[in-house]
Amino acid sequence: MKGGGKLALCVAIAFLGGAGAYAEQQKIGAPPEASNMRLVGTNDLQARSAYQPTIHHQGDRWIAYIGHHGGTDEIPDPVNPMTGKPEPNGTSIVDVTDPAHPKYLRHIPGQEGKYESGGGQMVRICDGKDLPKGDRNAVYMLRTFGSEAHEIWNVADPANPALITRIGGLKDTHKSWWECDTGIAFLVSGAPDWRTRRMTQIYDLSDPAHPAKIRDFGLPGQEPGSTGAVPTELHGPISTGPSGNRVYLGYGTNKGGFLQIVDREKLLNGPKEPIAVNLRYPEISRMPLSALNGAHTTFPMPGMPVAEFAHDKDGKTRDIVMIVDEAILNECGEARQMVWFADVTTETRPMMISSYTVPEASGSFCERGGRFGSHSSNESMAPVYYKKMAFIAFFNAGVRALDIRDPYHPREVGYFIPSITPATDKRCVPIEGKDRCKVAIQTNNVETDDRGYIYAVDRANTGLHILELTGEARAIAGLP
Amino acid sequence: MRAWLVVAIAALVLGALAGVPAYEASTPHAIWQEIAWPFARDGWPAGRAFRCNAAACGGDIEVYIRPKLGFCNCATGVADDDEVDRVADVDLISPHFVPLQAGKAVRVADMPGRIRAYELKTGDGAPHGAIGIAVSHRCDLLVAAAQGRGDAAVVQRAALELLASAETARWVKLAMNTQ
Repeated sequence: MKGGGKLALCVAIAFLGGAGAYAEQQKIGAPPEASNMRLVGTNDLQARSAYQPTIHHQGDRWIAYIGHHGGTDEIPDPVNPMTGKPEPNGTSIVDVTDPAHPKYLRHIPGQEGKYESGGGQMVRICDGKDLPKGDRNAVYMLRTFGSEAHEIWNVADPANPALITRIGGLKDTHKSWWECDTGIAFLVSGAPDWRTRRMTQIYDLSDPAHPAKIRDFGLPGQEPGSTGAVPTELHGPISTGPSGNRVYLGYGTNKGGFLQIVDREKLLNGPKEPIAVNLRYPEISRMPLSALNGAHTTFPMPGMPVAEFAHDKDGKTRDIVMIVDEAILNECGEARQMVWFADVTTETRPMMISSYTVPEASGSFCERGGRFGSHSSNESMAPVYYKKMAFIAFFNAGVRALDIRDPYHPREVGYFIPSITPATDKRCVPIEGKDRCKVAIQTNNVETDDRGYIYAVDRANTGLHILELTGEARAIAGLP
Repeated sequence: MRAWLVVAIAALVLGALAGVPAYEASTPHAIWQEIAWPFARDGWPAGRAFRCNAAACGGDIEVYIRPKLGFCNCATGVADDDEVDRVADVDLISPHFVPLQAGKAVRVADMPGRIRAYELKTGDGAPHGAIGIAVSHRCDLLVAAAQGRGDAAVVQRAALELLASAETARWVKLAMNTQ
């Protein structure tokens, strides 16, 4: 081929390659991308960047409580159409009894501040009748108030919440856990004197009006007065309560993560002074991830029967923990953050057994804009999906539905990537000192309800998408 | 004489092409030699490492610099000394380090942050000083750690000289995508 021919071929390849990548960019008005998942209803959540959704069956209603990150540079305090006033992002309360027509009930403002510096990311709900010392008529919402406090509200009337109490004076907060049957709360906090942004403060919130501190907990090296290397910070704990007697804590975000398995009884009743020996006392084991991955969510699934092992004399059931990393850099600017399954049947020797990621080439996701990689999973343990299916928020790859009945071989059986809207915020990367921005869906968190609906929320302000399974995925869940 | 000239020119050209030039900081006697990144792979890509000999810097001093892109404290930056303890890579030198005093504000390549001096606990019992530096731009960090036998103040002065050099600042801005 002569020089001119080569040049023409190169130009053609470059054009086609560029066109291919461009074709993968989301466009306003384009339909969602889906397999075995169907959109049931949406709500724009007042175009606020969304984090943790919690769906609560409240009387004869289903209410979604959704935490928010702070506002954006362009719109720090979006206007609440219900009040006509700008309000710092906080908590959205949405009636999803009819999932096809979600009804926005109330926005509770959060801490002033943009992105992760404001808002009220985290929400957990307990009924007063379940808490040992709760008001039987109350429904309690535990939420974060930006980085500075945890708050408890009575949301028995979800359209008119009332603040009950506040635990403040913190330098950070994050993804907490609250046992409704005991009232014990594992609050991800930044105690001012600790050497880490995020550790665990354990409270007895059985009487939400009178929080009782039990202890501070973290990793040796994080406690006040320690010196030397500081272990990576906590992302979130999940407790199996008194019956399971374990707390699974995920550390790290997108790097140097690990799973820590803790004896709950020793944690609550062991020596509490924050010194290294006392911090080690309740720990059963740690399982490090690669330095290239962090642990956002550590979701326990004890006693899973594994069909492949059914005829084995030992090990027919396995204790499994699903670990979900968090991608934090736009356009694949880091190692892939994904999903891992650990067999923790022998607790002192936990072992990674399988993994899952969305194939990048299936959507040219590194070129779409924003983050690509996992962030979080559903955390509901309701029977409809527990130990059968898991739903993973995968940022610009939307929600992914996994068949996890054989955790040694997890398999994707559905997905849903919502359409972008005019509210969807851009995501930028620096190129030679200037920002180059793209607009893409950023599915941030996902939760399920006991009816089987799946709730996906968007970090880039696109709102709430309520989904249901179809086809093979629906059959796996045993839904009619 | 001619052969010597050829060798000298070749060394200069190869050094420049390989990106491992000898660094001349603001002090004429402080000559920095780039060395291989001496630490095992961790969560962040390797950075650049430099050594200054005792004659030039008052003690054998090594400085390790790398960007850490994607740092969560986007709004507050490097807010306190604990942040320096956590992120500045001093733990790569030794996990056992003790701060000598409260840190101070510092700017490197126009980025604000903090610097803190440490005493390293090493096996031989000899005094060993270290410096941790962390500065930020938006959601990204630049960190530097330095170590040397003797006084941490000497290590700090030398490390800041290296970071202030025009060549280092140029590389930092490129690595941090700030230019």
